[in-house]
Amino acid sequence: MDVSKLVQQNIEMDMTPMIDCVFLLMIFFVLVIDLSQKNLEDLILPRAVFQEPDDKPPENRPIINVLQNGSVVYNQKVIYDPAVHKTDYRPIKQLLLDIRADGINKKTLKLVEENIGGRMVSLIDDPILIRADKWTEWNYIGEIMKQCSMPEIAFWKVELAMSEQDKETGEKNKKLTGGAK
Amino acid sequence: MTALEDAQEEVKPDMTPMIDVVFLMIIFFICIDFKVLESKLPAYLPKDKGSNPNKVDPQEQLSIKVYVDKVGTPEYPAGVDKNSVNINTGRAYRFKLKDHKIRWEVGPKPFGTLAEVEAELVRIAKDPNSQVADDKHPGQKKLMSCVIEAYPGTYYDDVAKTADAAHNAKFEEINFGGGLGAKK
Repeated sequence: MDVSKLVQQNIEMDMTPMIDCVFLLMIFFVLVIDLSQKNLEDLILPRAVFQEPDDKPPENRPIINVLQNGSVVYNQKVIYDPAVHKTDYRPIKQLLLDIRADGINKKTLKLVEENIGGRMVSLIDDPILIRADKWTEWNYIGEIMKQCSMPEIAFWKVELAMSEQDKETGEKNKKLTGGAK
Repeated sequence: MTALEDAQEEVKPDMTPMIDVVFLMIIFFICIDFKVLESKLPAYLPKDKGSNPNKVDPQEQLSIKVYVDKVGTPEYPAGVDKNSVNINTGRAYRFKLKDHKIRWEVGPKPFGTLAEVEAELVRIAKDPNSQVADDKHPGQKKLMSCVIEAYPGTYYDDVAKTADAAHNAKFEEINFGGGLGAKK
């Protein structure tokens, strides 16, 4: 083997590690972008067996997270803290008003006028998702729903997030474990 | 380089791609675990709250009350309490609730287990007397709606499981009673 052949062999590049790194980076960024867009707090949702899967969520759907202590989190920002605000639910109301106004301005939320009891009411026809930990007191979720139904807010379609697996106990729905439903 | 040396070089396996693939698979399965599919319970709130001065006929609906028998004990990870904050997340530590026990009342009947509630709801849904007039489709009938009234001290898990049972029994309109306050 002469010297020129050795030199030629040395400059061959092994692309495998680079491709692997590219794949790893792709997976990383897909996950990071996905999580940030969904505005999902790390919660353990209650397991539901018979609810419909949320596999194609609408992009414009606002998501309100409720932590175990009742704190309401929107876009990773604590809006209402029961330890601070106690029974003053005005921050929740203001948040919903802001979401409504922002959605109407940006045309991400659909507004419909409906004649209810002889009076025209502007309703938001898109759903809002409430995600709460399984051990969050229902009172806090009920309060958000109460605010949603106020005529000046009028989010009348509310979705409650549940899971097909209880990450606390490890229980899974039968269809996830391969059994019949 | 002799022929023997060449042969020895060829049998050396390159472990790099295999290790890379294993890492990719580990990451893939970890991610699958994080992305547990979520489901949703649609709830439709009253559209006419505070805006309708006219009197309307009360709708017949099934009342499902959820009461607390035992509030339960929050169990935090070792070394932390309810005031501790996780520095990684900036949020309070999560607890598990132990010995939490609830009971139900479906209509006037009391029940102690979810299985009993499920069975009762299925029975009611199949009862022809549970059919009411459908306002949207005059002349037709539909299954009456149900309202889940969660009393102070109940948790989201309690209500979710009750709503799930109602959904299983084919109740389409599931409402939630409010204004019952926080636990004392």
